[in-house]
Amino acid sequence: MQQYVNVTIDGAKIHAIKGTSVLDTAIEYGICIPHLCHVPFLSDIGACRLCIVENVVNGRSKVTTSCTLNVEEGMVIWTNTDKIRKLRRNLAELLVAQAPNSRAIQDIAVRCGVKEVRYPFRNEDCVLCGRCVRVCEEIWQARAKGFVGRGKNRRVDYVFGVRPDFCKQCEACIQICPMTIPPCDGPIKDGEEYLCGKCEAQLMIAEEMPLGSCSWCKLGEGFGCGRYVGVLR
Amino acid sequence: MQPQTLEQILEGRRSQPNQLIEVLQDIQRTFGYISQNAMRTISRNLGVPLIEVYRVASFYKAFRLKPSGKYVLTFCTGTACHVRNANLLLDQATSYLGVQPGEVTTDGQFSVEHVNCLGACALGPIVTEDGSYHHHMTPAKLRKLIETLRNQKTEVKQYAQTK
Amino acid sequence: MPKLNSARELEHLRERLRQQRQDITTTVMVCGGTGCQASNSRSVVDAIRAELTRQGLEQKVWLCVTGCHGFCEQGPVMVIEPGNIFYCHVSPEDAFEIVYQTVMKGELIERLLYTDPVSGKKCRTETEIPFYEAQDRQILSQNRMVDPCSIEDYIVAGGYTALTRVLNHNLTPDRIIKEIEESRLRGRGGGGFPTGRKWQECCEAPGDEKYVICNADEGDPGAYMDRCLLEGNPHLVLEGMMLGARTIGARKGYIYVRNEYPLAVKHSRTAVEQARELGLLGNNILGSSFSFDVDIARGGGAFVCGESTALMASVEGKVGEPRAKDVHTVVDGLYHKPTTLNNVETWANIPSIISNGSSWFASKGTKGSKGTKILALTGRIKNTGLVEVAMGMPIHEVVFNIGGGAVDGKLIKAVQIGGPSGGCLPVEKFNLPIDFDILAEAGSMVGSGGMVVMDEGSCMVDVAKYFLKFLQDESCGKCVPCRLGIDRMLEIITDITEGRGKLEQLDLLEELAETVSETALCGLGKTAPNPVLTTLRYFRQEYEAHINERRCPSGVCKALITYRIDPDKCTGCGVCLRGCVHGAITGEKNQQHVIDVHLCQKCGICRSECKFDAIQVVSENEVSRCSST
Repeated sequence: MQQYVNVTIDGAKIHAIKGTSVLDTAIEYGICIPHLCHVPFLSDIGACRLCIVENVVNGRSKVTTSCTLNVEEGMVIWTNTDKIRKLRRNLAELLVAQAPNSRAIQDIAVRCGVKEVRYPFRNEDCVLCGRCVRVCEEIWQARAKGFVGRGKNRRVDYVFGVRPDFCKQCEACIQICPMTIPPCDGPIKDGEEYLCGKCEAQLMIAEEMPLGSCSWCKLGEGFGCGRYVGVLR
Repeated sequence: MQPQTLEQILEGRRSQPNQLIEVLQDIQRTFGYISQNAMRTISRNLGVPLIEVYRVASFYKAFRLKPSGKYVLTFCTGTACHVRNANLLLDQATSYLGVQPGEVTTDGQFSVEHVNCLGACALGPIVTEDGSYHHHMTPAKLRKLIETLRNQKTEVKQYAQTK
Repeated sequence: MPKLNSARELEHLRERLRQQRQDITTTVMVCGGTGCQASNSRSVVDAIRAELTRQGLEQKVWLCVTGCHGFCEQGPVMVIEPGNIFYCHVSPEDAFEIVYQTVMKGELIERLLYTDPVSGKKCRTETEIPFYEAQDRQILSQNRMVDPCSIEDYIVAGGYTALTRVLNHNLTPDRIIKEIEESRLRGRGGGGFPTGRKWQECCEAPGDEKYVICNADEGDPGAYMDRCLLEGNPHLVLEGMMLGARTIGARKGYIYVRNEYPLAVKHSRTAVEQARELGLLGNNILGSSFSFDVDIARGGGAFVCGESTALMASVEGKVGEPRAKDVHTVVDGLYHKPTTLNNVETWANIPSIISNGSSWFASKGTKGSKGTKILALTGRIKNTGLVEVAMGMPIHEVVFNIGGGAVDGKLIKAVQIGGPSGGCLPVEKFNLPIDFDILAEAGSMVGSGGMVVMDEGSCMVDVAKYFLKFLQDESCGKCVPCRLGIDRMLEIITDITEGRGKLEQLDLLEELAETVSETALCGLGKTAPNPVLTTLRYFRQEYEAHINERRCPSGVCKALITYRIDPDKCTGCGVCLRGCVHGAITGEKNQQHVIDVHLCQKCGICRSECKFDAIQVVSENEVSRCSST
């Protein structure tokens, strides 16, 4: 027997399924909240922080990730306030400055309204979103790769750096990785990094979109947005 | 009584995943580092996936995944020691020995490590070596300590605080 | 010793032990804390013991190895009663004299007495020492006389009376929680969360299996209060945990001690074993229906494990990665069970609140911050060590009255309070009291109680850089704002300290700091920008000097300073040349020595070895001199 709770997201009253996250509920109802480490069929870890929303409790608003927040009766959520947009834009800026060599990351930057990158570019090939680790563990239960190290040295690796023989090379980790899709203009060389921003039309979503509506933008394809469930390249 | 073998360390802890850190601590203390073989044995005996053992061993600073030098010099880099120029001592050691923190000298004699606060702040700057605390360190004392270790085969006594 | 089966038996034991010690005329207490042990206090103890045996005084004189007295720089420290005689810098060779002169004849040994650096006078007793006199040692009071490895000492000193009171009167959880709430005790680990409310929430959480945890991960560099408490009086902490467990209904507890405190681990283990032996831990404690046991869990060397969810993950044998706290740990904590996690000092306060009552506790302190707080006072002051003061004491009293003011005639510039999560307050703000809310408003925080005093020789931009490096080293790396945000803040500050800074970077720094503090997953990330924000707020002129003039006013940032030998002072003795590991100094004997600035790494060895104060630190751009050493 499914239970429901009433929540308010961006002013809209929503009949949400108890036990689901605010992010899943919002996407289900066509409210676009940008996200990166969230994948519909995997657990949520709240690592990328892009899906932040304002949760108003007792008159005070708290910034929290919508993927780890479960819906509760009477909850009031705002996904697109000035404050949230600014924070999200800054986070996306950090991401694209770190790893611009991916269409997914560039799409996220556009979607979150990044107009300029104020940090020196780097050209990393992993954003530590953990999608590969989780798909290997949760879908295939193989646990061939995982997070290793800490802080700046945190990386994804096989045990002792060598692919184990119980890895069947199913390539699910590669399919789900946001870094495997190069930018539309082609791979970016070291030292020549730039902010793409070409999907001008999509910029409107970040700024002027009527509150809460999802427009099935092409950007979602890039980072496997929740609306594209099941459509993996 | 100090356990000496992997078997003794695992005794009473089999199939208990929450004992992972305790087991790694004992192995680190007994063998000086956590070898790949040790990790495989732990994984089998404790029932923890190997990737998870590797993950935990690589996460915590207490565990070394490679053998260390014969003498491990640990420099405290806590705030109180930093304000007393502990970083200059660390620089001196790395220049003098030609290794970065975490590395071993080519002759296998020395490793340099740093730790974020030993909690003996009033006595800083502090350098420890095999459990001995050398306090109120100065560049001259450090040079002397390194030379003494290099030349001596026996255990180094602590330097008494000069009155 | 046989197991105690009732509270009455415990009282009888207490009486018996006190009777046994009636014939003791003199007590010699030697500090056995980590600091004094580093200064060889163990040998002092052995020497005194040998001397007492030689003189046949073992029955009359009680020799006790105690916990940390807090005055670590003066160690080894010794207190002799009667007379409250305080000796410092004691060495094993002094044993004969101490036993013969002081113990047997009651005479003082002048050279072992403490000299007050401010007045120049010799102090006979602890109370005459300004460092101790200005304190209000409540929690630390037993450290001077209790042997941490002796449960008998603790019982003789009055320990476990709070436990017996609760069991004798069968006080209900509600009653105990009410007492804690009315005392207005707030968490001593940094969060400052009302303890009573935490216990209440955990008590109400559904479930039969609950846990209590003592957070002894004390990772703040410069803080060692918890080390002293756990090393010096583990039974006090244990009793607090027992009271907590009895209140919330927990049957199991853990003391999580960081890896770098081996003595604290040892003493906690001993205390637990002794308590088990007496029946104060285990099933049906003192014949009641209360069953509770404690295990010690060791950290693996990770500051982030001071965060409650990371700590619990570590106890479970996993990596210390925090998780989102939308559901609190008092409801979903260790092994997903309701868990009350409190700091060492918080637990240590509980027995006295139960014994003396909430109004006794609340009579000290300010409106929002009650009771006393232990502070680790370190840095550039004369008296460094562990102090306990009533909440509300102004910072300048701590720094000048207790700390004795600056060393070497320097000017004190700032105090860093609260560790890497706290901030730096300038001298102008030293009138502020030690108070949770007031310090938080000023941008800093009481935190765990670490106070590092800085003088003109510290560069505040370098201090901000130091803390960012520390936090980057300790970050678990899971979330973007902490992992990437701290990295970029460090990149900007490094640019500034190396002369590449631009003014607009200060605005970027502030915006990035705001983003990190709002969006980070856990407390480490959320408070990481504090050192940057407070130094920007109160010491902006230093940042601007680095950026606009490429000058480090304190002569610290290596890229902006040059080492130079003053020709007027140099005697050509060659000490610097021999000491330089980079081969940057040349000169003939008794001739002028010169530093090659291209080879010089500004490591400071030459400066610290030169006996003529001839090595200057000058700014790259100016001729202005900073005094050396």
